[in-house]
Amino acid sequence: MSHNIKITARPERTLKHNLYLPAIYAGFKVTFKHFFTNLNDINAVETLRYPEEQPTDISSRYRGLHRLTHREDGTEACVACFMCATACPSNCIFIEAQEREDGVDEKRPKSFFIDTLECVFCGYCVEACPCDAIRMDTGIFSLTGDKREDFVMDKEMLLSHKGAFGEEVSCARG
Amino acid sequence: MSQLVKLIIDGQDYEAEQDSLLIQLLIDKEIKVPYFCYHESLGADGNCRMCMVGIEGQKRPQIACDTLIKEGMIVNTKTDTIKQVHTDILELELINHPVDCPTCDQAGECSLQDFYMEYGLHSSKITIEEKVKHNKAIDLGSNVMLDQERCVLCARCTRFTDKITGTHELGIVGRGDEAKVTTMPNRPLSNPYAMNVVDLCPVGALTSKDFRFSQRVWLLESADGVCHGCAKNCSIIIDHNKLKYKDDTIYRFRPRRNDAINGFFICDTGRLSYRELQENRQETPLLDGVKISEDKAIEKAKELILLYKRNTSIIIDANLYTQEIEAIVAFAQEIGADVYAPLDIYRDEAFGDDMLRSSMRAANAQTIINMDINTQKPKKVGLILNFNHPEKFESAATINFLTHTRAETALTLPIATFTESSGSLTNEDGITQFSKKVIHKNIPVPTLIESLKRVSQ
Repeated sequence: MSHNIKITARPERTLKHNLYLPAIYAGFKVTFKHFFTNLNDINAVETLRYPEEQPTDISSRYRGLHRLTHREDGTEACVACFMCATACPSNCIFIEAQEREDGVDEKRPKSFFIDTLECVFCGYCVEACPCDAIRMDTGIFSLTGDKREDFVMDKEMLLSHKGAFGEEVSCARG
Repeated sequence: MSQLVKLIIDGQDYEAEQDSLLIQLLIDKEIKVPYFCYHESLGADGNCRMCMVGIEGQKRPQIACDTLIKEGMIVNTKTDTIKQVHTDILELELINHPVDCPTCDQAGECSLQDFYMEYGLHSSKITIEEKVKHNKAIDLGSNVMLDQERCVLCARCTRFTDKITGTHELGIVGRGDEAKVTTMPNRPLSNPYAMNVVDLCPVGALTSKDFRFSQRVWLLESADGVCHGCAKNCSIIIDHNKLKYKDDTIYRFRPRRNDAINGFFICDTGRLSYRELQENRQETPLLDGVKISEDKAIEKAKELILLYKRNTSIIIDANLYTQEIEAIVAFAQEIGADVYAPLDIYRDEAFGDDMLRSSMRAANAQTIINMDINTQKPKKVGLILNFNHPEKFESAATINFLTHTRAETALTLPIATFTESSGSLTNEDGITQFSKKVIHKNIPVPTLIESLKRVSQ
């Protein structure tokens, strides 16, 4: 056990440290700097008048609400491989697979549910997907509903969400 | 008994029978060696070339599956040359592979995936567009689906139909990259053991139509079980799971190796028997076809037993566990009832064969015979207690203990199926196996012994 412990020397405390006053001064300097700047110019305050004002800094990396991407023929790109459901740490993806009869692929999801109340928006499903079929690039960050069922997204809802940053078609299943 | 000889593998001393197969020793001693075509039940074929090992004194690497063990042999499985050989041969096997793992049911239990992670990790020198195209999703018959693109031509399936069933339905036609497994035109795969090729296939070329897309294999839990299809009692693996917000469900039965009983295989009827097991379950007590509470049903049963004391017959299903049968016999002595287990209904001469199917289609019939239980039909009496026996007998009153629903008006108490309770079974050759409780339902149905305890209190 002892060989795993690395002992580091404590930094020496000088009078400057023990007085605390220099540190308090440094802290209040920042606080008062912002206070007087904002008092002079109210527009410098870094807040947003939400919901009248919407955020403008949502980038393509932002993990918003999920969507299922399409193929070029408009059908779903998902092949129900369960990679997202397997990777999901909150087990909130529920898939049922079925034979795909149109000859495009062998398999398709019969049903695909994401319970967004259980979802932690970690993005593992997107990372895991081998078909670029699930993405979180809708830019939707706010979800509202009257009852719990409103937050369970089914396949049709997920397919209807539009990507906020182009690339409508799956890169892997074009 | 042939002579034991000494040999050295990777610097370790081993002893083995002279002229036995080197690959078998490697498998037994858990020395890692990749292989597709070798299978203990089918013997060496030497066509996949994956199991290359270095043998000192030989110019080039040799396949372990067709190498006979000789005295003083020095075998290397971990040299750089051998590792390179494994990678190169795997690359050849994968050259025309469609890499459609997301849609393939074998994913998760696929030798190609395992070997790629262990020996491959190379990047392909060929694009998807350049790969040779074959047919996909061909229904071969007997619930077997063929995907010719995923096939590595190990010929395990064709050797199974040649050597084990002797039905010769499958063959490999064509040469080079045109070679593919197929059946004769209009001659589908049709034999009672056909679905074993699905287990034999090391890749996703042969998959089960029954299991197709129903679950991903890594989400399944495997438990040991015993097939209740006939008096043979083949050892099986029960693949089941309890998904979030769902109930414990069985998705497939697979054969479990048991050299004393079934070897490596099971019949298709036994394999598919899990479906019937889960359908039309008797879950609540019934009286005159109406659901009643469990307490009321037990009360009613006690009343009837008291009313017809000394005028009762008990009928036992020959599929019950030995412990359950013993409990019923003890209960019968307590209330002074006669015990019968009519076996005629289980006899099905058309079902039996000389491989794994017995014409006695009751799992524990041997115990009934061993315990000297009357196998005749019961005489007409006041009350009949039917413990899941498929037949209906005439009587003034009946109490049924059923696993599955039936058109019944009599008092019916639900009991657990064999996967939901534990006990032992003796097969027709006298081999006893213990079977554990595998399925844990959200709302458990009482086992026969639990119900019996409550009725006899």
